[in-house]
Amino acid sequence: MPHLCVSLSSKPLWLVCTLLGLSAVHTHANIVLTVPQQVSLSANMGTQQLSISWLGGAATTFDLIILRTEFNETVCYDTVFATVNQVSGRHQWNWTSVEPLECTSLSIKLRSRDGHTTSAWSNTEILQGRDLPSNKDFQMYPQDRIVPAGANNSFCCIVEEGKGFDRIRYSMTVMNVTRLSRRSYATSVVSQGPSGRTGTNVFCYANQMMELTGAVIFVGYPPLPSHFVCETHDLVSAVCQWNEGRDTHLYGKRGTRYSVNNRHCTQDISQEKPKECSVAQWEGNWTLVAVNPLGQYSLTDSAELSHRVCPVPPVNLSSVVHAWNATVLWKWNYSSYSSLDLICQVELTTRENKTKRVFFGMGLQSVVLSDLQPNEDYSIQVRCGAQKNFWKWGNWSKPVSFKTNTDAPDAPDVWMWMNKDKTGQVIWKPLTRRQSRGQIKAYEVTLWNPEENLQHTEILSADTHAVLVNLTQMASFSSDSKVIATVIAKNIKGTSQPASVGLRLTVVDPRAVSRIVYTEKGFPLFWQSNVNTTCSYVVQWHDASCTHDCPVEWIKVAAGNTNVSIESVNFQPGVRYIFSLYSCPSDSPELLQHWQGYTRELVPSRSVPLWSSQHASDIVLTWGEIPLPDRRGFLLGYNVYMSNGSQLTLLANMSDLGTRNYIVKGFPMGSYKFTVKAYTSAGEDTGTTASIMLEPYTDWLILEILASLGIIASLLIIVTFICYKKRKWVKKAFYPDIPEPKLPSDWSRTQGPLDVKPSPHSMVHIVEKPDWDCSKEALVVIPEEDEDDDGQGIGDEPVDTDEPTSLRYYNQVVDERPIRPRFPDSSASSASSLDSAHTDVTYTGIQTSGSSLVFQVDPQGQQPQADHSFSCGEGGGGGYRPQMQPRAPNEDMGLASLEPFLEPQAASAGGYKPQSSWHLDSPMEAGERGSLAPSLGSPTSVASTQFLLPDGEEHEEEKRQLSSSAATWFTNLLSSTKP
Amino acid sequence: MTGSDHSRTIAARAAAIAEQLHHECSILLEIYRKKESFTVDVADSRLVSVPPPSSQLNTRDKLRHLHSALLQCRSLLDRAIAKEEEELGGEKKGEYENQRKMVKERLSLLLDNTGELFKAADCTEMLTPSLELDGPSIVFELKLWVYRIFKEVDHWTKTTITTLQDTPLVITKGPARTAMSVRSTRSTRR
Repeated sequence: MPHLCVSLSSKPLWLVCTLLGLSAVHTHANIVLTVPQQVSLSANMGTQQLSISWLGGAATTFDLIILRTEFNETVCYDTVFATVNQVSGRHQWNWTSVEPLECTSLSIKLRSRDGHTTSAWSNTEILQGRDLPSNKDFQMYPQDRIVPAGANNSFCCIVEEGKGFDRIRYSMTVMNVTRLSRRSYATSVVSQGPSGRTGTNVFCYANQMMELTGAVIFVGYPPLPSHFVCETHDLVSAVCQWNEGRDTHLYGKRGTRYSVNNRHCTQDISQEKPKECSVAQWEGNWTLVAVNPLGQYSLTDSAELSHRVCPVPPVNLSSVVHAWNATVLWKWNYSSYSSLDLICQVELTTRENKTKRVFFGMGLQSVVLSDLQPNEDYSIQVRCGAQKNFWKWGNWSKPVSFKTNTDAPDAPDVWMWMNKDKTGQVIWKPLTRRQSRGQIKAYEVTLWNPEENLQHTEILSADTHAVLVNLTQMASFSSDSKVIATVIAKNIKGTSQPASVGLRLTVVDPRAVSRIVYTEKGFPLFWQSNVNTTCSYVVQWHDASCTHDCPVEWIKVAAGNTNVSIESVNFQPGVRYIFSLYSCPSDSPELLQHWQGYTRELVPSRSVPLWSSQHASDIVLTWGEIPLPDRRGFLLGYNVYMSNGSQLTLLANMSDLGTRNYIVKGFPMGSYKFTVKAYTSAGEDTGTTASIMLEPYTDWLILEILASLGIIASLLIIVTFICYKKRKWVKKAFYPDIPEPKLPSDWSRTQGPLDVKPSPHSMVHIVEKPDWDCSKEALVVIPEEDEDDDGQGIGDEPVDTDEPTSLRYYNQVVDERPIRPRFPDSSASSASSLDSAHTDVTYTGIQTSGSSLVFQVDPQGQQPQADHSFSCGEGGGGGYRPQMQPRAPNEDMGLASLEPFLEPQAASAGGYKPQSSWHLDSPMEAGERGSLAPSLGSPTSVASTQFLLPDGEEHEEEKRQLSSSAATWFTNLLSSTKP
Repeated sequence: MTGSDHSRTIAARAAAIAEQLHHECSILLEIYRKKESFTVDVADSRLVSVPPPSSQLNTRDKLRHLHSALLQCRSLLDRAIAKEEEELGGEKKGEYENQRKMVKERLSLLLDNTGELFKAADCTEMLTPSLELDGPSIVFELKLWVYRIFKEVDHWTKTTITTLQDTPLVITKGPARTAMSVRSTRSTRR
């Protein structure tokens, strides 16, 4: 398929067609078509343009065909309108190839056309490519092409003869290729972007990338300079400057060349933008031409010399320095400046700031700088411009430095802090380097009491900025006495003005302290203006948690002001600051107002101390205060939570800060945890948790027990009282009086045993006869007649005998104590009854009147006889035995034993004893008592309900003693009823 | 300091400089490959002409060849830089330009040291390098040429390191026979 050609005739296709039609109409009959002769080719490899010329007779229209020779592929087939060159008489037509003309050989032929009539084709002319067999090299085309950005471009690669083509890479991109001939391959790149400084590389690989060739293409832009302007420095020549404008992406040999008024400007690669070119004389009009391989651009400028004066920088700057001013001098490189009205700028640079001052003058060469700071380092730069028709400032001169001389220092800024104990400190701010005006040597502090004309001066080192004062030594503390502190700074040049502050003798507690909110500009403080005073103010602030010798900051406010914003680099979030406004600080400071605030409130850093307790069935939570430094914000309240594992359930919000307890009601018994958190505007603290085990209310239980005991005690008292009141009845009912034996004759007081033969009728009714068992205490029936026998009476007698035993009575009553009733709860009997309960024995023994005579044994040792020892076998046989001690008496027995002396015998014989003790104070007494009972052994029968007690109670001596005490008391109680 | 000690010191210093140059040259090659999108290595072709190394060469001949090769490298490098500046311009503070300048200066320093070593070895016969210093006019060819010059510098730097390490001159632990051997060789040849 033939390709349409792109001809350089550059006429639109419709125009060609129209011309062809017209020429066909008008010349058809007149023109004789000839075959084009002497076809000639002229190739421009750089522009890829092929110029074809031929002799074509009178024809103006020709058919043209261009083929790739090797593959016979049509590159171009077109009908062209070719004009005749009047000089050579040849037709000529130009064609631009898409691919470089070196890529492969092209065959060109043409024929004349007149309408539909054509001549024969001309001979084929061949433009030889570089892929001919004679040129075996590995090549690539085009080389070093320079194209504008966005253009399309084709490359071809001719591989070496006999080698295989591999690929074409455009920079890093592998391209699609078209084969043009046996050895030639082409690729096209569209819309190329600008290349780098060294162009864009196109690589061609052959022989499986083992061999490489390539080309470089430079893609860029034509020059586009701007801001072309000319000026003069020396009032003679012109210096023109411009900006390069956009980057052309072409450098080195391909870079832009500049000329001003057709004078080439040498390019210096080290020169930064803007570009500059000098013209020796002021011409008034200038033209800049910028040229590169892709195009050129021109700019013009015109001006009068006096309007374009830009002075050069002054040189040789020097200075003459004083404390408060300095003179700066300089020179000009051009003498022509002496007649030039100049405006000069002097830039003063100190450590803190930079300022500019402006001076005027013809040919200005010196200026006086006033209002400088003493002892200050300055750096000076000067630049100037034309005062008339000011064009621009010249460049800055090289800087020159100097230091001003020293002077006496400024007065320090003094304030004070007073504690409640009349101590305090005088504080002053360190003088800045500027305020010092030289190195500070010392501070002189004077305390002065004007009333008492007391003065105390102290010299302090330069690094001291506070001094402690104790006013107890300076003032008498009367209401109107005052102490003034004065501070003077000293340096090598002199002393400062004194700075004074009145020390308050009485510390006024803060009145209402209002809260203040921190803003971006600090703490905004406002106060009412006092029209009566012309004093200035001092605003002081410090950490609210500090009370003694606090690090205080302050700021002085001029009189008449009613507001100030306090800002300090020392402010810390979470710290409460107290701000105090004082008037007349230098004489007698008066506290006017207080504020407090936080720069930023934080959550409390410490939690409240928490306690929990149970009151009745309620839980009472009580917590303490958080110390002020730990609050870190204004407390807004407390939140009470019930802690359930990791979950907190809010129980109450206590916004009343005065209430620091909470009662939890209605909780069943169990274990609970409660958390209390204080909160500020920043949030809650971490909280404190307290645990409590809710238990039944023990107070009531105790009360119930106490009440019961009280009731019982009351009942006992009542019963006792009733018994006491009815003691006669009780006695009668339970302890009827035993009739007094009637003594028919006078029982002489002669002492001596009275043997009485007991009545043979005195019997003991045996209910049960237990066999004697050593392992258990035997129940022994004691013969009636033995009851009153003590040991000595029967010591030599056989124990087990059927013979009535003679009773020995003493006819002497020793003990005049009242007769003791038998009381079942008496110690001996009660103790004995414990074991007697195991028996079914009913004791029906005879109780003689003398049986109740004695209740206690004489401790003087009316001991049972030691020879009342019986073996188990002895006395066995179920015989009746008198109540006897079951063991051999020993010395201990006499101490507390209330047992009858006969018990050993009874024990050895398995005897019984009555619950009531048949105690004898002594054998003698027993004998005497026996004498008092003439009826003893008589058949007087008394039914005894007392149990027979087994022996062995001697182990409970203490108990018996207690019981005996109670029995004694009760006996006494009852006996007191006797008339 | 004896002559042999001096030789050893110079040789050690030259070896250290060569090590540094080799490192800098590697960086330069890497920068150049990246800058010019050279993804595969360009086939080597020798630009420096010296007789092929041989084990038969004595120390003095080795030094002479080495010094000659380094001289050629410096000439080529100077020409390459000039040609690049002329053809393509140069960025004053570019990474490539800085590295290239560093390699050039280090190579000069190495040459000073090898020259000193050469003198210490009593070598007076210098090989005069015969080079085609014009360089290609086609930019792509110029780039390949510059790259090859960098590779030559790299190659001869490595050769310098190897030579200085292999020859007895830099046997620091050995006795002062190295310089003696150089002298004896020279006297033998005379």
